Order: sequence, then C-alpha cells, then structure tokens
Amino acid sequence: MTVDPGGTPDGPADTAMAVDLTAAPVAAAADVPPELLAQSLGQYLRAWWRRVRSGDSGVLPVVLGMVVVAIIFEIITPEHAFLRPSNLVYIFGLSTVYMVLAMAETVVLLLGEIDLSVGAVALFGGVVAFKLVQQPGPGWPWWAAMLAALAICGLVGAFTGTLTARLRIPSFVVTLGMFLLFSGILVVVLGVALAVVVGAVGTALWRRAAARRRQGLVAPPASLTAIRIVLVAVVGVAVVLICTINRGTPLVAVQGVPWVIPIVLVVLAALTVLLQRTRFGRYVYAVGGNPEAARRAGVSLAAIRTWAFALCSATAGLGGILLGSFFFGQYSTNTADPGQLVLYCVAAAVIGGVSLFGGRGKPIHGVLGGLLIGAIAYGVSLLSLGQLATPLQYIVPGVVLIVAVLVDVLSRRGSGSGTRA
Amino acid sequence: MPDIPVTADPGETPGGTADAAMAVDLTAAPAAAAADVPPEILAQSLGQYLRAWWRRVRGGDSGVLPVVLAIVVVAISFQVANPAFLSAQNLVNLFEQSSIYMLLAMAEIFALLLGEIDLSVGLVMGLGSVVVAELVQPTGLNWPWWAAIIVTLLACAAWGAFQGSLVARLRMPSFIVTLGGLLILQGVAIIVLKGALVSIGNSRFTNELVLYDIFWGQFEPVVGWILLAVVVGATGTGLWLRDARKRRHGLEAPPRSLTAMKIVLMAVAGSAVVAICNVNRAHFGTIEGVPYIIPIVLAVLAAWTVLLQRIRFGRYVYAIGGNPEAARRAGVSLPNVRTWGFVLAALTAGIAGVLFASWQVSLTTNIIKSANSYVLLAVAAAVIGGTSLFGGRGKTIHGVLGGLVIGAIYNGLYLLGVSSWWIDVVVAGVLLAAVAIDVLSRRGAPRQA
Repeated sequence: MTVDPGGTPDGPADTAMAVDLTAAPVAAAADVPPELLAQSLGQYLRAWWRRVRSGDSGVLPVVLGMVVVAIIFEIITPEHAFLRPSNLVYIFGLSTVYMVLAMAETVVLLLGEIDLSVGAVALFGGVVAFKLVQQPGPGWPWWAAMLAALAICGLVGAFTGTLTARLRIPSFVVTLGMFLLFSGILVVVLGVALAVVVGAVGTALWRRAAARRRQGLVAPPASLTAIRIVLVAVVGVAVVLICTINRGTPLVAVQGVPWVIPIVLVVLAALTVLLQRTRFGRYVYAVGGNPEAARRAGVSLAAIRTWAFALCSATAGLGGILLGSFFFGQYSTNTADPGQLVLYCVAAAVIGGVSLFGGRGKPIHGVLGGLLIGAIAYGVSLLSLGQLATPLQYIVPGVVLIVAVLVDVLSRRGSGSGTRA
Repeated sequence: MPDIPVTADPGETPGGTADAAMAVDLTAAPAAAAADVPPEILAQSLGQYLRAWWRRVRGGDSGVLPVVLAIVVVAISFQVANPAFLSAQNLVNLFEQSSIYMLLAMAEIFALLLGEIDLSVGLVMGLGSVVVAELVQPTGLNWPWWAAIIVTLLACAAWGAFQGSLVARLRMPSFIVTLGGLLILQGVAIIVLKGALVSIGNSRFTNELVLYDIFWGQFEPVVGWILLAVVVGATGTGLWLRDARKRRHGLEAPPRSLTAMKIVLMAVAGSAVVAICNVNRAHFGTIEGVPYIIPIVLAVLAAWTVLLQRIRFGRYVYAIGGNPEAARRAGVSLPNVRTWGFVLAALTAGIAGVLFASWQVSLTTNIIKSANSYVLLAVAAAVIGGTSLFGGRGKTIHGVLGGLVIGAIYNGLYLLGVSSWWIDVVVAGVLLAAVAIDVLSRRGAPRQA
C-alpha cells in the first residue's frame, strides 16, 4: 500500500510498453481503441482507418455528409445562395435547436432507449419559460424562469423514466403517450402567448495529453494534439469571421457571433464531461452496452435510466427555450410541430453517429448531426420548388431518418463487436 | 429411441366412453400442461367452464373482460353527464366514428402480435383516402369505383411490403422504419393531392356516389332484419355443427348449454343493434337503417379472425410474437411472416382509408396531416382491447372493442363540450394506463414475460 504513485514507468520504459501493447492479443485490442496504442501520427491514422473499415466510423460520415450537402445545395440553390454568410449563420441558428435536442436524445439513445417526447417537452419548457417572464403576468427574472422551466422538464423526464425503468414499459410507447399528452397540454398552457473559446479548449486538450504522457499513460502523439488544436482554431476563426461579416441589410447592420453558439458549446462541454468523465457516464455506456452485465456489476439500472430520461428532458427544455428565442421571441401554436421536431432530433443523433441500439455515441455526434439536419432543412426551403416544397418538408427527414438507421444497422452487422440486434 | 411405435393408428383417440376418464386425467394434469391448454377446453359443464374462466382471469389472462367493463363504465358515466349519450341517434353516430378506430386497431394488431409496431397506419389511411378519391374524379382519371378501391388497397399493401421488408429482412427497428415511413407518406399524400382539395361529394357521378355511400349509406330497415337473420342463422348453425362434430369425435368442446347461450347472445345483441339503427335519427326527414359500415367492419373482423385463428399463417404469427427464436428453430420463416404481417396491417389501414375518404367527403392537406394523430388512437384501441404490446397475445376482436371505447370517449367528451386538446390528453392518459395494465398483468401471468 506504500507504493509511490509516481512509480509508473517513465521515459525509458515507454518503448518497451509500446511493443508490449501492440503485441497484445486480439481480444484486448477489441477493447482498447487502436488509436490509443498508436505512438506516431502514421500509426494513429492507420489504426483509425482500420476502425472506420470495421464499422466504427465515428464522426467521419457526418462530416463527409456535411461537405456533400453543402456542395450540392451550393450548386442547386438559385443564385448559389447557400454558402452566403447570412445563410450560414441562419443555418447555425436553426441548427442549434436540433443540436441541443439531439444531444438530449443522445443521452437516452446511449441506454438503448428512445424518447419520442423531446419535441413536445422542449416546446412545453420553452412556453413555460416565456410565460413566466411575461411583464403583465408573473414577471419573473429570466434566469429564474429558465431554471423553473428546466426543473419542470426534468420532473417530466423523471416521470417518463420511472415508467420506463421501473415498470419496463417500452420507452417508445411511454414517450409516445407523453408526446400526445404534452402536445395537448402545450396548447392549454400557451393560450395566447408570445425569447475566447479556442484558447481554452486548446489549452485543455494540450495539458490533458501532456499530463497523460508525463504519467506514462497512453496518449495520442503530440503531433496529433497539435493538429487538433490547429483545427479547432481554424474552425473557430472561420465561424467568428463568418459571423462578423455584416449579414443585415445596408441600413441595419447585423454582425457578431450569435450568443447561441457559446450556449451550445457549454451544453456540449457539460454533457461530454458528464458522459465521458464521470461515473454516471460510464454507467450509462455500461447499461446501453449490456444491461445484464451492468446489473451484475452492481449498477442500479432503474436509477440510471430514470436520471438519463430526466437529463434528456431538461436538456430538451433548454432546446425549447432556444427555439422560442430563435423564432423572434414568440410562441404560437404554429411555431413548430413537435412531431417533426422529434424526428429531426432522432435523425440528427443517428446521422451524427449515435447508435439506436445503445452504448455507442457521444454528445458531439448530436451537434454535428444537428448541423447536417439544419443544413438540409434550410437548403430544401431555399430551393424554389413551388408545390413540392411542403411535401418535401416531410419526405426529406423521413428518408434521412430511414437511411441513417439503415447505415447504423448495417454498420453494426459489419463491425467486429458483438451484434445484439 | 427406436422402440416408439411410430405406426400407431391416428384413429386411436379415446371415443365417447373414455370421455369421463379423460376429463379426470386432464384436470389432474400437472401445472405445466394446464398452462398450455386453456382450462375452458377441459370443462365439461357450464359451472366448470365459468370457474375455469374465472381462474384464467385471475391469472392475468383476462381476455375481453376489462374492455367490456370499460365500455360499461364509460357508457354509464357519460349517460349520467349527458342523457343524450345513449340516444339511438348518438349511438349510431358513435359507431360510425369508431369504425375508423376499429379498422386501424385491427391493422395495428397484426404488427403488435408480431411484437413489432406500425406507426404509419394513420398515414397509410391518409394516403389511401387521397388515392381513392383522386382516381374516381370525373375530371381526372375517372376510374370505376371498384377499380379505384382495388388499386388503393394494392398500393397500401405494397407500401406495407416495403416497410415490412426493411423491418423483417434488415432487422431495422419497426418504430423507426414506420416513423420515417409516415413522414414520407405524408409528403407523398400531399403530392397526390396536388396541394388542392379533392371531393367525392358530387352525387351526379355514380362512382363518387358509391364511395360516399360506403360511410354514409344504410340498408332499408327491413333489409337490416333479413341480414341479421341470415348472419345469426349461418354463424349459429356453423358454431353448433362444429361443436357437435367435435363432441362426436371425442374432442374437447364447450358444453352444449354454452354454445346455445353464445348463439342466443349473438341474436339478442344483433337485434338490439338493428333496432337502434332502425330508429329515425335525422333532425329533418328520415335516416334509418343499418349503416353499410357495420357489415364492412364485421366482414373484416371475420376475415382476419379466420386468418389469425384458423390457418397456419395465423399460428406462425402467434408463434413469432410469443418467442421468435423458438419459432425460427421450428422452421418458421421469420422474414416472410413478418413481412406479410406488415402487408396485412397496411392493407387494413387502406380499407380504413377508403372509409376515411367517404367519411370526410372533402380531403385537404390539413386533413391528411391530422390523419397522423389516429395512429396513437389505433395503438391505444388495440392495447385497451386486450392486445399485448409485447407480441403473441391478442385477437382481432380486441381492436373492435378497443376502438369502441376510444370512440365512446371521444364522442362523450365532445358532447360535453370539452376542447379537442383536452380530449388528446385524456386519450394519452388512457393509453398509458392501458399499457401499464398490460405490463403489470404480464407480470402476474404464470407464463414468463
């Protein structure tokens, strides 16, 4: 018990360890992502490519999808308007709602469950928050209203989660019922109601990798960490530049980074830390990967499931507030169709790379998938389609959802890790 | 095991004299066997039968009892709140509304029995209604009504085959396939509608008139009675002869008194329905007689009951719903049966679509969008009726009874002047309650969930 924690092998032992690890049996290799074992950029890329080919493609498909969608829409939109700064910022604003909702959905999908009520609960949360700050009315301060809305949504999720987790009613039925319930309640509540980052991320990434290397833990090669930081910087600078271009009319200048971007990043960071760095997160992946194994390991399935649904609904509530805010701070019964919203966010999560069958996915996948869905939704609306415009609003997400799940199903078949579908 | 006499004469089943001994044997059978054979089959007298049935209800397999109780409770509460509820006029109205829920619930039951779900039935109905209405337009394709109906049903079945293949062959989760499917159908239906309005309300054209009459037409009062006599006579004779044949061959059959009671009950219920329908229900003029939709719903019910209870396909459906792996090892082709299940669900939803077109008369984009809300009612109706969400338990009749409950709730709340949003909230509550009861009753059941 008196072993010095500093006694982990340092510098000279590194190479021996690397040999050991790369020579590890296949069984172990299946558990440890090959990237972790790579010691140079080349090795890392080869390992990554092997993983992509075995079906665990991570964010690659969604990034490729975004590029393809951007090119196609740039070509086919009238006057090639798709990639204008004003449109890009609008798409981002629109997508933030899908991003937040997709991140909410991700938490539940990771368990191998689904929440079809996020759309309705999100709108409900938004309406509650908006109602509470009305001046002739409750007149609460904005932060109190938001906290109250999120708490109420969290309670709704806890109720849904309890039904699913303790009674083992299939989650899609419970949440379908909740969807109907809240679509109704929504209208009743509504009545007539009218809402520096690069540096921090880079430093954090670098310091974490350096710390791991110092302690002799497996860490990505330094060159890769550098590349990542540069990438974050480039993307960040591009976003800021695009946002700072004047996108208003010549009379009214609209420029600057919209507030929603940092909001989304904060949610992303919070959920990522929660899912990747805390015990709760590990339990969520464990339950999603193999509930029986998790149960035997002493994880309380009911508690984890209930908390995940509560977390999902609270995040959805935030999405609803963003949605109301996006539509010029107004809410009416026509603002958004909760049914369509939920389909968009499930599709966004699955397109982003979250598996419908549980245990695979990250919050960042929800963000990327949400951006892709937002781009598609807005791109379709840019086209002058005449009578086809309305039907395509339904057909496109339907096709996208089915294709995304199809890819998920097929990639699970191709992957080496156990398929339980 | 070469000593087993494989050449045993299949005619060696115990005859009449062995009956008593056999009954004793069977009732003394171990619990394992009793779980497989419904106790009613073993009962030899009415008293025994009722006791066996009560034992089964307490064991969690309550059949139609809860839904019949629910109908009685709903009827009494609404009658107290509004005396117009049980008037002949409103009862026919209620049944007409419920017929859509009944057909959609019968459609949903095919998917539920397989342990799957079909969320697209509402919009398959929506698409079917638009297609059938567009096909008979005199200014458009001007097809005869029967050709339009056949093509509509085929189109719906083809869509079911597509969704079923994705579910059955690629093993995609059915709720995702049908969720995506319903969105696509919504778009397709709006395209078929050409963004405008389509109507079948012009009585100058025979084809439109026939479609209109499917929902709104009725038999002459006398024809209603004749029809009832024919139906009760035929089914009663069939039932009696079947039970008599079973008894003659020494097979287990319900006691004679029970068969007779069933037939009498059928005659009484039928007479009540015909009598109610034959009351004049018009504010001005005369509207009386049995609506055409009653025999339509009964025909679908009879056809699907035979399909599920009497032929091999039906047994396979129950086998897969009960335990897919066991069914597969027994040689059942899972992909084929599952695909056909979805085809039949979509076909039934297509029949509902023809009724829906006839009911709405004029179809608009908004009506098509609203068709989506019917799917939850269909699932709720099936589950309230006694069909399990987890597959393998349920009958077509459950859809009809559950549809009646949903129709009664809608109709009753509407009569009380409750807004449609609150009605949705109530129905959602009923759905969740029904599912919770389903889950809990499965826990109480002797068979493993």
